[in-house]
Amino acid sequence: MFDNTSVVSVDKNQNIQPKKHQSLYQKKKHTFDIVLRIIIYTATAVTLITLVGIIGYILWNGIPHITWSFLSSPYSETRDSMKGILPMIINTLYIVVITLLISAPIGISSAIYLTQYAKQGKLVRVIRFTTEVLSGIPSILFGLFGYTVFCILFRLQTSILAGCLTMALCVLPTIIRTTEESLLAVPGSYKEGAMALGAGKFRVIIGIVLPCAMPGVLTAVILAMGRIVGESAALLFTSGLSYNMPNGFFSQIMSSGRTLTLHLYQTAREAASPNALNVAFATASVLLILIFVLNRLASLLSKILKKG
Amino acid sequence: MGILMNNLSTQQRLKKINWIKRIVAMIFGVGSVAMFFLPYVQFIFQDTRYVTTGLDLLIASGFRVETEAVSALVGIPVLIRISVITGAVFALSGVALVFFQRPVLAGVSFMISSFTPLLVLISTSGIQTDVIALNISNVKVGYMVPFVYVLISGLVCAVLSLSTQGTEKLAKAVFLTFSCVSIAAVLTITVYIFSAGIPAMAQIGVFRFLFGAEWNASSGQFGILALILASICGTVGAIIIGVPIGILTAVFLTEIAKPRVAKMIHPAIELLAGIPSVVYGFFGMLVIVPAIRSVFPGQTIGDSLLAAIIILAIMVIPTIVNVTENALRAVPNSYREASLGLGATPVRTIFKVTIPAARSSILSGVILGVGRAIGETMAVIMVAGNVANMPTLLGTTRFLTTGIAMEMSYASGLHRQALFAIGLVLFIFIMIVNISFTLISRKGAKVNVR
Repeated sequence: MFDNTSVVSVDKNQNIQPKKHQSLYQKKKHTFDIVLRIIIYTATAVTLITLVGIIGYILWNGIPHITWSFLSSPYSETRDSMKGILPMIINTLYIVVITLLISAPIGISSAIYLTQYAKQGKLVRVIRFTTEVLSGIPSILFGLFGYTVFCILFRLQTSILAGCLTMALCVLPTIIRTTEESLLAVPGSYKEGAMALGAGKFRVIIGIVLPCAMPGVLTAVILAMGRIVGESAALLFTSGLSYNMPNGFFSQIMSSGRTLTLHLYQTAREAASPNALNVAFATASVLLILIFVLNRLASLLSKILKKG
Repeated sequence: MGILMNNLSTQQRLKKINWIKRIVAMIFGVGSVAMFFLPYVQFIFQDTRYVTTGLDLLIASGFRVETEAVSALVGIPVLIRISVITGAVFALSGVALVFFQRPVLAGVSFMISSFTPLLVLISTSGIQTDVIALNISNVKVGYMVPFVYVLISGLVCAVLSLSTQGTEKLAKAVFLTFSCVSIAAVLTITVYIFSAGIPAMAQIGVFRFLFGAEWNASSGQFGILALILASICGTVGAIIIGVPIGILTAVFLTEIAKPRVAKMIHPAIELLAGIPSVVYGFFGMLVIVPAIRSVFPGQTIGDSLLAAIIILAIMVIPTIVNVTENALRAVPNSYREASLGLGATPVRTIFKVTIPAARSSILSGVILGVGRAIGETMAVIMVAGNVANMPTLLGTTRFLTTGIAMEMSYASGLHRQALFAIGLVLFIFIMIVNISFTLISRKGAKVNVR
């Protein structure tokens, strides 16, 4: 009401017809708004359609070919009857487990040091900066580094172990950052309470801080798992492309083996027959399902963290 | 008096526990030394089995491998000899140091001895390499009990002897050591990439390398201008397509959609971010490439810069949506209320108030997207055609990343060094992106605080 009268009075002084102007202005604004709204809806629709398109396309073509024998038999390039992915599943499992065994203790401990011990000085800033730099380096450069250092310099050849060492470098920043965030989220009063009861710093960390931040630490590990499962460029030269059936833990990690992602890459490139393409589709579906499960697990854990 | 007595008795108990720890550590340490003389590693060439003790590994000149075709002496790598002897020596010195009550030094020396089996593990593959060079393909390495024992007992002894010093110090030392590993890693990578890339650049000539139009490994022409331009064009194209879509999707999720709807869509976007790049490449290969081929019949084979741009745009969207969403949510509600109170429509408020307020955070999201697009390899390799042409929208192209990935497996000599130099160029690109990201996100934080 107030607005209206003031507008009218101003207009009267300047001898401008208010009604016409106002309606025109409003009309213009309205169409502009609608256009922008439509653009926003379209953009969202494009994103969602792409998502549904990609996932639907791959699952639609892939899931019918996921059979028990596909999951549990070895692979052969020449024989059509042997197109299973068991070796790739085992290789992926080895790489995930060994990489996490190397990088999870290092990552979690450095996150603990950064948040609980370090004075916020130069060293902390250097470590923060380096983890940031590490997380920005493209995986092909990790692959290049891993190939020349682990495979050639350490004479590991293209082997699963070399792949694990390379991947450990790749996922370190993810683990450090996520763990750090969850450790910082633990209320200071908890720590102070424990310290007031006479517990030492290490006691406080092991007994109070880590248990409180556990869902966050697990999220970090699961995110790292997702990254390892999805990684391909860093493993192309380091863990190699062989698809032999593993016959022993040590001999397998010292020899080359392809993961699920590299199997998808290789079968997709070589696919000459529709049958070979089906193998690629089924592998892609397995990968998508794996990633989906890991994703759900991570967000479930972060929900628990928020509640706690 | 009673309290004092109590204190005395706990102190005595602590002393006793420390004595026990020391004795256990010494027993384990002596065990490590003894293992030096027991079978350590076994090698199986063809059908013959060589069981070697630590002493053998140190003294023997090598393995005599004899088949019908070859008869040769396979040398033992120096690293193995060194690590075997250091393992034993440091275990022994650890025992001595525990005996003379120097727990910290003892801990360090036990730690070093426990790492030596890992060095042996790494360097035994050197033997495998040599054997494979003799055309004997099946060589197996078996690790025996002492191998595992030295590793575990070293760690146990280190922890035991350090813990006599109090858990607090032990814990702090361990945490600090681990956090230094990440610095060491990034420093090594940086130094390595520079030291591996610079020689080739110097040999080819920086100008000829960066601005040479011709890449032909077989005729020794290493100019990467086409690769650089392709990477830049691909990234810029992906950003031009992906950024508006990403930002508008984030706007929809934070400003327009009901919370219930946003909660349903958000995990989907997260999933989009988690899909492996090979899967994107696979999708592009089977859907986007044929689509381009049929839209422009006769002009292109489908594998093209355009296909790479579209795939990269799809891959960049989730990054931008996530960052923009967070940025928009961080804008104080009072801004929106003030704008609405002045009579602006909701849409006007979004574009004139909310987005400008979150500008710098959104920009840092865009830069993250740029980093992701420049560094992407596998998706691009599957759709871009990989011929080192000057980039045209419908022609085949090769990016910096794919340039490395395509030829790494068979390159040698100057060719391989040139690939490292490409890696260096890529690294510099990423560093520029990274540093501008840090600068901008710092600025963004300042704005938010104000």
